[in-house]
Amino acid sequence: MQVNAPAIEIRDLNKFYGTFQALKGISLTVKKGEKVVVCGPSGSGKSTMIRCINQLEEHDSGDIRVFGTLLNDNVASIDEIRREVGMVFQHFNLFPHMTVLENCTLAPILVRKSSRADAEARARHFLEKVRIPDQADKFPGQLSGGQQQRVAIARALCMQPEILLFDEPTSALDPEMIAEVLDVMTTLASDGMTMVCVTHEMGFARKVADRVIFMDKGEIVEEADPETFFTQPVNDRTRLFLSQILGH
Amino acid sequence: MTAQPYLSNRRLQRIRAEYFGSAGSGLLTLISLGLIIGIGWAVLNWALLRGSFTATATQAECMAKGGACWSVIAVRWRVILFGIYPYEEQWRSAIACAVVVVMTILSCLPVMWRFWRLAAVWGLGTAAFYILMRGGYFGLIPVDEQQWGGLALTLFLFVTTSVLGMPMAIGLALMRRSDLPVIARVTGIIIDTIRSLPLLSILFAFAIVLPFVLPDALTGDKLYRVIWGGALFFAAYEAEILRGGFQGISKGQEEAAKALGLPYWHRISRIVLPQAFRLALPATINQIVITFMETSLVVVVGFVELLAAGNTAYQTGEWKFAYVEVYAFISLIYFSFVFGLSRYGAYLESRMNAGQRKE
Repeated sequence: MQVNAPAIEIRDLNKFYGTFQALKGISLTVKKGEKVVVCGPSGSGKSTMIRCINQLEEHDSGDIRVFGTLLNDNVASIDEIRREVGMVFQHFNLFPHMTVLENCTLAPILVRKSSRADAEARARHFLEKVRIPDQADKFPGQLSGGQQQRVAIARALCMQPEILLFDEPTSALDPEMIAEVLDVMTTLASDGMTMVCVTHEMGFARKVADRVIFMDKGEIVEEADPETFFTQPVNDRTRLFLSQILGH
Repeated sequence: MTAQPYLSNRRLQRIRAEYFGSAGSGLLTLISLGLIIGIGWAVLNWALLRGSFTATATQAECMAKGGACWSVIAVRWRVILFGIYPYEEQWRSAIACAVVVVMTILSCLPVMWRFWRLAAVWGLGTAAFYILMRGGYFGLIPVDEQQWGGLALTLFLFVTTSVLGMPMAIGLALMRRSDLPVIARVTGIIIDTIRSLPLLSILFAFAIVLPFVLPDALTGDKLYRVIWGGALFFAAYEAEILRGGFQGISKGQEEAAKALGLPYWHRISRIVLPQAFRLALPATINQIVITFMETSLVVVVGFVELLAAGNTAYQTGEWKFAYVEVYAFISLIYFSFVFGLSRYGAYLESRMNAGQRKE
């Protein structure tokens, strides 16, 4: 891991599902500490792209580097990257057979080789940070959706990653719970975490993002700072998308 | 009016509504009650009220009382429990049974579910069982596996078959869902082949055909070959049960584990298998119960397990008439073990569901 290298560097990324090309020559660089929001219509490849960054999807050609480490078929390099890149999913994917605390300490103990005491102390610290310190001994099924998603964020933070990927973190939530998750994400952003968020929460994008990326049909169509992106979008498809999503 | 009569009124009303709601259902209720009472009385009358319990009762005396002749059990219980194991040494077989039961109960306790604790229980338990049964150490007279029998043999077959079969099942189930198509396909064919053979033919093949195919050093005693055959059979079915469990787990679970950097074995052992076992538990208990029953099939390759021992117990002239009593006794033994198993399964299910709601 090179400290001075860009956090994420994607060059000419292509991904096929059979004959369908999901990603068409994507190139993207994310600097350390930068917050990037990725939006676009469904099926535009935005989830596929961020899932390539921690290799939940294998890409077919192109290079992905995380802090200078090239992701290839080498399992060791994939494991190394996954330790540094946390991910938060649309459907939380908490482990239902473990308590909240166990969800948060499992990977630090097994992967980072932390002692149980250290791992639990850190888990309680991050549970406090996502504002659910008193739920540590409950099972995920006993929590609301918003609480589960905040546990999922704490679980990712417990690995102390350099980068956090968010894959539509609020899409599966009831409207009244979206704010509590976005608040936590905003706090993280102000702490200097490198973040790539696939989301349709344009308010969050405007407030937090350093850069907004619009994807359509497997390509990056527009890339700009939030002010320019929302007020003077260049591309027709971006304008159409924004009018649809902001229009009501 | 106090609360108590009100409550019992409600209960009476419910009974009336549920069991005597209409003329038809009332009639059905009465007929069923009559049957239950009739059969219950007949059994009670036969087994206890008119039964003979003295060890010395002859057939004529039993007939005179008109009920069950439990004398056959009093006289022949050692044959039923220990088969053709040498008479003087049967205390060893009795202790060996107790060892298996204790070993099983210990490994069913959640406190023991640590690798080293289970390994210790199983290592020591199996060694104790073997030394007791086989002899040859500590001045115990050697007893050939061919002479093991009765309950001790049934328990040994059951426990070893399930304990060897379960890891094999996990291995097969994991290979079946491998990312490498060749491994997945070949494993699928192996599982399907085993499942399309009757257990009898597998036992025959392992007991009788295998020695012709493999060198002597690899085959071992017929008893162990039969156990391997039974374990393989168990594994094929249990692998499919586990596959059903795997399919019930959302893809997101493994993805979340990958995203946290957990390597394959940790993903499987900490995330996938615990959830798969929970989903597969009812069917797994079912399969284990079936395995217990199927131990009786080893009689075809010449082993005198519980049921076969029971057959020999009444098949000498004087007790030929008392086969019902012998089978009732054996059924009671099977029942107590299998009923215990299924209660344990129910306990496990409620334990695993505690505090967990489906997402």
